[in-house]
Amino acid sequence: MHNSKAHLWFIAPAIILMIIILIFPLFLAGGISFTDYNLGNKTFEWVGLENYDKMFNRKTYVKMIWATATYVIVVVPISVVLGLCAAMLLNSLRFGADIYKTIFFLPVMATLLAMAIAWEFTLHPTLGIVNSFLANGCGGVREFILGFHWLPWVDSQESWYAVACANNMDFPYWLKQKNTAIWTVCFIGIWQAFGFNMVLYLAGLTSIPRELYQAAEMDGAKSTWEQFKLVTWPMLGPTTLFVVTITTIRTFQVFDTIEILTKGGPSKTTYVMMYAIFEKAIQQNLTSIGAAITVVFIGFILVLTFFQRYVIEKRVHY
Amino acid sequence: MGTISLKNISKSFGSTQVLNNLNVDINDGEFLTLVGPSGCGKSTLLRIIAGLEQQTSGDVLIDNKNVNRVRASERDLAMVFQSYALYPHLTVRRNLETPLRLRDYNAFERLPLIGNFSPSKKEKTESINQLVNKTSETLKISELLDRKPGQLSGGQRQRVALGRAMVREPVAFLMDEPLSNLDAALRVHMRSELSELHNSLKTTFVYVTHDQAEALTMSSRMAVMIDGNLLQLDTPQEVYDNPSSLSVAQFVGSPKINIFKGTSDSSGTVSFLNVNLKRKSSESNTDLHIGIRPEHLEITNESNENTFSGTVAYRENLGSDIFFHVNIEDGSNKIIVRGLPQLTHQISNGSSVNIKRVSDKALLFNQVGMRVQFTNA
Repeated sequence: MHNSKAHLWFIAPAIILMIIILIFPLFLAGGISFTDYNLGNKTFEWVGLENYDKMFNRKTYVKMIWATATYVIVVVPISVVLGLCAAMLLNSLRFGADIYKTIFFLPVMATLLAMAIAWEFTLHPTLGIVNSFLANGCGGVREFILGFHWLPWVDSQESWYAVACANNMDFPYWLKQKNTAIWTVCFIGIWQAFGFNMVLYLAGLTSIPRELYQAAEMDGAKSTWEQFKLVTWPMLGPTTLFVVTITTIRTFQVFDTIEILTKGGPSKTTYVMMYAIFEKAIQQNLTSIGAAITVVFIGFILVLTFFQRYVIEKRVHY
Repeated sequence: MGTISLKNISKSFGSTQVLNNLNVDINDGEFLTLVGPSGCGKSTLLRIIAGLEQQTSGDVLIDNKNVNRVRASERDLAMVFQSYALYPHLTVRRNLETPLRLRDYNAFERLPLIGNFSPSKKEKTESINQLVNKTSETLKISELLDRKPGQLSGGQRQRVALGRAMVREPVAFLMDEPLSNLDAALRVHMRSELSELHNSLKTTFVYVTHDQAEALTMSSRMAVMIDGNLLQLDTPQEVYDNPSSLSVAQFVGSPKINIFKGTSDSSGTVSFLNVNLKRKSSESNTDLHIGIRPEHLEITNESNENTFSGTVAYRENLGSDIFFHVNIEDGSNKIIVRGLPQLTHQISNGSSVNIKRVSDKALLFNQVGMRVQFTNA
């Protein structure tokens, strides 16, 4: 047994495959990121940290990091909380839950490409259903609700809605406007991600033993909130960890909505990392800078994974 | 005080009737066992008392107050679940504290961090700590207080679950098969501990089990339930010696009571096989079931009109007792006879034996399974 080399034969295929398709490209990208190599070139020069220097100093790449960070920080918490709320609501329904499940899960199943085109039409500044809906609501209930006129400190003449109505239906251009584009993309990201989180939470909820709720009731946890704090939330710990990790990685990887809806614009406000990699390395053939972005990207994901694996994991499994 | 009265309790799930018009009065400080085979509705009854399940009709009274409309958390009962239902993310100490924290702290004091600014919280925390320490000493779990339930053995979890129920001194304890997840030796040990605990707490215990041995050993009274009906409610000894019906007689006692087919003649004299009981039944000229417990039959060398014979099919040695499973000669049924090891060590499988009954111990049941009395002693 000790002298046998048989075990090598069993693990070799997996290891060789992993080296070829995972580890080698990773190191290759790492290597290229320290050069000025572009695809098709016959030679290259070592340039040290120049690519990284550019990334953290040139305006484009700083904007890239901002856009990515904004997207992740907005989409992850909101889609996780929404997913949890939706799952708990559906879990408490006696019937009709299946219909809602299907509706909420639809964005996950559908091709994002088709969905993004639908969004593009919906949000079109002049032809889109959103802006025509807003325009038709001027002076009505829609203006009162969406213009936040019900808040005591909002002046009904000065609200964004009233101003837009007054200025010849000057509603936001959503995806085409610097200050709204990233939030609109975030909204679509949330819409797309929360159905998946909801399904994961639904699975998590069914695995909580009912006796725990009954024990909580006997112990005097009367309100739903107390029972949530005492039983649901802690018992969903492992699910939450998984949901947060998966959502974070997926939001880091956002690409298709950006490619179809904004192409990183306007003025790079939606220029997320994955799109930057695609634009630099594939479209503009700047392989070395693309490789550098990729390395930073992988760095983020690795840090996240380690954090999940070694810090939070210990707190959510009992 | 801790009296519980159930009046005309019925429960059905859809069209299935699980409880049929039950009436039980549980006295203060009593250890009452609800016992019956699985699916007889005993757990449902317990959950109705707890308020976790709503009865279809009937009233639940706790300390003479109708609690039909009072939710579980406000009935001031404590429950020990079969699966223990400990909070896995909390330490044993926090598990024990939970019922106290939820009851004693107000909503503001339960808030994290800022709750600590409440002036009365410190005092309450101290009294909670004292109660938790007292309970954990009683149950000998003081050294486990900082562990999580996942790091405990089954028996330890059982104690913690008991502690969580005990810590706030409820009106009554409800226990839903609390020992069924323990191994056999620990189960027997915990029986005596539970009895001791009941003696020292003097609180009402309502205990659900399917194990008639637990019911016989621990309870002050036992309620035998079968198919949603309460068949007999009495002290364990009385239920064992004097079962009200054939089903109760068959359910209580291990090994099971032997049932013989017998008849009574026109004078009411009862006989079975070739044996004449020489006693008269109140029902004459009818077929009867005659129940005789294994310990009321003896293996004997005599052969006369008071004995019958059979072949030993299986010899079950329990050390202190040996039970012989005997095929009797008319071939109709197999019976179980208890023998003392020192008297019967030479009898093996396949031996033919004579069996004699201990007089005055037979129980009579009529064709529908109801108890029939003897008219003369």
